[in-house]
Formats: sequence, structure tokens, C-alpha cells
Amino acid sequence: MRWVFASMALVALAAGLLLISSTPSAAHHAFGAEFDPDAPIRLEGPVVRLEWVNPHSWIHLEVTTEDGTKEVWMVEGGTPNVLQRRGLRRDCLPIGTVLIVDGYQARDHSLRRANARDVTFTDGRTFFVGSLGTGAPYEGAQPAASSGAC
Amino acid sequence: MKARTTIPLLALSIAAACVATPAAAQAQSGNSNWVAPRTPEGQPDLQGNWTNATVTPFERPSGVGPVMSAEEVAAIREAAETRAQSLTRPSDPNRPAPPVGGDGSTGAAGGVGGYDGIYIDRGDAVAVVRGEARTSLVTFPADGRVPATTEASRAERLEYGRSSRAGGAYDHPENRPLGERCIMSFGSNAGPPMLPNGFYNNNYTIVQTADHVVIMTEMIHDTRIIRIGDGPRLPPDVRPWMGDSWGRWEGDTLVVETTNLHPMQRFRSNSSDNLKVIERFTREDEDTIVYHFTIDDPSVYAEPWGGEVPLESMGNELIYEYACHEGNYALSNILSGARYQERQAAQNQSEPR
Repeated sequence: MRWVFASMALVALAAGLLLISSTPSAAHHAFGAEFDPDAPIRLEGPVVRLEWVNPHSWIHLEVTTEDGTKEVWMVEGGTPNVLQRRGLRRDCLPIGTVLIVDGYQARDHSLRRANARDVTFTDGRTFFVGSLGTGAPYEGAQPAASSGAC
Repeated sequence: MKARTTIPLLALSIAAACVATPAAAQAQSGNSNWVAPRTPEGQPDLQGNWTNATVTPFERPSGVGPVMSAEEVAAIREAAETRAQSLTRPSDPNRPAPPVGGDGSTGAAGGVGGYDGIYIDRGDAVAVVRGEARTSLVTFPADGRVPATTEASRAERLEYGRSSRAGGAYDHPENRPLGERCIMSFGSNAGPPMLPNGFYNNNYTIVQTADHVVIMTEMIHDTRIIRIGDGPRLPPDVRPWMGDSWGRWEGDTLVVETTNLHPMQRFRSNSSDNLKVIERFTREDEDTIVYHFTIDDPSVYAEPWGGEVPLESMGNELIYEYACHEGNYALSNILSGARYQERQAAQNQSEPR
């Protein structure tokens, strides 16, 4: 039965390598401290401002509530350095581009802020289709063709 | 620039790996015609932009050997590719908000999840050192696992945790972790030891002069200055970020010994003032530096331990300024979130039952 153990070890290894990469002992960013798991949110609206800053990018969206009120929400995304390597620059998201974001609201509910768990265009596409890189730019990555994405 | 994810499968050893020792850390380039470049001063040239992003875990999973077969590497590559494709698939534009109570995410992202695939760039390359595809970055002890810590050090760690978060973890910005405050990089990214962080920006620039080696870590903009030679060490009470590093050349290997690490820079959350980190940088070929590290901290571990991480060339690709700064929205959100919850709790208590 050696082959059984070998194949089980292989499965464990493949799963393990993809799930437990060299995880930092102290995360830079305490998502659980910043965002409220009991306050899920879905936002849709045009981009009104971009903050392409480290350690995290922030996208400001104008959201129209059910009663027609306009609210500006800020959603937190990843580091501009990675986005730059993906070929995504701040000018790839022109003001007015409509985005759909889902995530969780900041723990301070008096703020209109959330994490950007998933950011897509209105047709559902993410910014890119391609393989994940390793710190270098995507090889053969094709940027999204619409909405001004680069 | 070569494709960094290309594993030299033919070079993979399917034999059991030798435990990497400093003596074994000499360059063994697969290309016998390759000659290590030299600086104008005649030292081995380590300069350039390098990355240590990898899917190889720090510690070895149970039930596997130290070295992967070509079949296993192919499986990892395929799984990584599948995962990458799943992360970049379109999402339903009519998707609802995620579930109340969290989305089931684990790890640093917690129950609220992190970001979608385009934001994360932890690498998809298996760590290959001298032709061996490694199952862990830790190579000694032989099981590829970090040894047990002493009972005294664990007690001290608990006490440090209590004292450093006096008043509560969210009471004050200085009670928050160094990385969150943009003071030091994720985990041990800048080091020493310099280890991949599992998220992104695992990139370094090395610059040499006749008597210094400088290593800039992209993540949180940390810069290490390593003096070459054998000058006076800092006194015990002077403990800068990233410690007091002195280097020397042993053949083609740069050996760096670091002591006096800052008391708040605690490796794996549990290190003592006695921690000494020994690093060895050996240029293996045009595209690889083998980085060997040893953790010598007798107050915490009975024996020294360590491992090897390949630093792969980024070619002509750039390192971008990170310019992380304390005061970006995350820190204020965390603290204001705690204040908001305190107000809510006080309001609930004051309401008549």
C-alpha cells in the first residue's frame, strides 16, 4: 500500500503549498480588526476618486441608495505596487467607471468604508485575466479591454 | 528575463536531500561554464533586483520528504495555474453581499476575506535550490520543522504580549503590530532572516561597495546596511531595526552575522536579546542567489536551526517605492472601529432592560 500513502502525501503537499505559503508571523494588515464580519455590503457606482497610495489603494464610489440619496463610499484594495506590475495604473480607471464591489464594512459604522473583497466591472470581469505572477509582470496577461482598463 | 516559474525538471533530484549546511552552501552551478561576475573591487557581484516569492512553505508539511519529484512539481504548477485562473474568472455582476458572520476565510484575512486575485502576488514558483525542488524553506533540523521553543521563552512571550498591549490591543496606535504601523515589513520580510511574506512585494535590491552591502526590501521600504569587515560591534543596549550586521567574504559567499536586533522586532513573535542570525549569500548562476540562514537563539531554541531560500533575479524589472506610512486609513479605521464598538456597548448598557 505504499503507493496509497505516496499519493496521499502528494495531495497533502499540493494543498499545503497553495494554502500555507510562508505566512507572515505578524500580518501587516488586520482585516478582522478593521472590518466587521457582521456587516457585509455590496456597492455599485461610478468611481469619483482614486487614491493610489501605499500600503493600500482606496477607490471612492458614488452609490445611490434606495431612496435616491447619493453617498460616497471608500473601498480598500491592495498595494499599488502589485497593481502596477499587473499593468494596472490609476489612469486605467477613469473617473466615472462603474464598478461593483462586495466586502465588509469598516467596524466603525459611522464611516462609509469597506474592504474591496472583489472588484469587477458591470459585466462581472475583474481587471485582468491571466496567471498570477511572482513579483514580475504577468507573462502574456491581457488587460481588460473596456471601461478604460489598461 | 527567464520565466521564473520554469522549474529545471531534468535537474530535479529525486533522491533524499542532503541537509543544507554552511559547508554545502557553496555554489554548484548547473552551468559549468558560468563564472560569477565580480564588482570592480573583485568581490562576487550580488547586485540587482531579486525576489524570494515562492509557494514552498516555511515548514515542511507532514508526510512528505524534503525534495519533490518532477511529478510533484508538475502537480503544484498545475494547481497554482488552476487557482490563478479561478481567481481571475469573472464574478456575477448581480452577486449579493457576502454572508453575515464572515466568508469563511482563514489566515491573515480573517473572516472578512482579503482581496481578489489581482491584489495578491505571493508567487507561484517552487523553491529550487541546487536543482532540488524543496518542500520547505527550513532544511535543518532534518524534518524541515522549526524546533520547539523553551518553556521559559514561551512564558516570556506571553508576558511581552501582555505588556506590549497594555490597555487593550486597540487602545493606542503603539499597541498595534509593527507591520500595520508601516514601521517594519510583514513577518520577517526585511529580516534578518529575509523570508517571503506570503502576500506580495517580496522583492529586494542589493547594492555593493568595497566596504558595504545594502539590501533594500520593497515591502515597507526597509533598508539594511551591512558593513564588511570586523569592526567594533554595537554595545548591547544599542539595538537598531534589523540589528547590527557585519559581513565577510568566504570564497564566493557573503557571510553576514547580525546581533542587537531591536527588542520589538521579534522573530516568529518569540526571540530574545541573544538572537544571532547568520546569513550566507552565494551566487549560484546568472538568475539565482542561494540565501542560507541560521537562527542561533539559545534562550529560545535548544539548537540552531535554519534553511535556504532561492533569490531569483527580476532581470530588468523595477522595484517600486512602497512609501508605506503610519496613518494610512487602515490604522485609523482599526482604532476608530474599537471606539465605535465601545460606544455601542456603553449605549446598550445604558438602555433600560
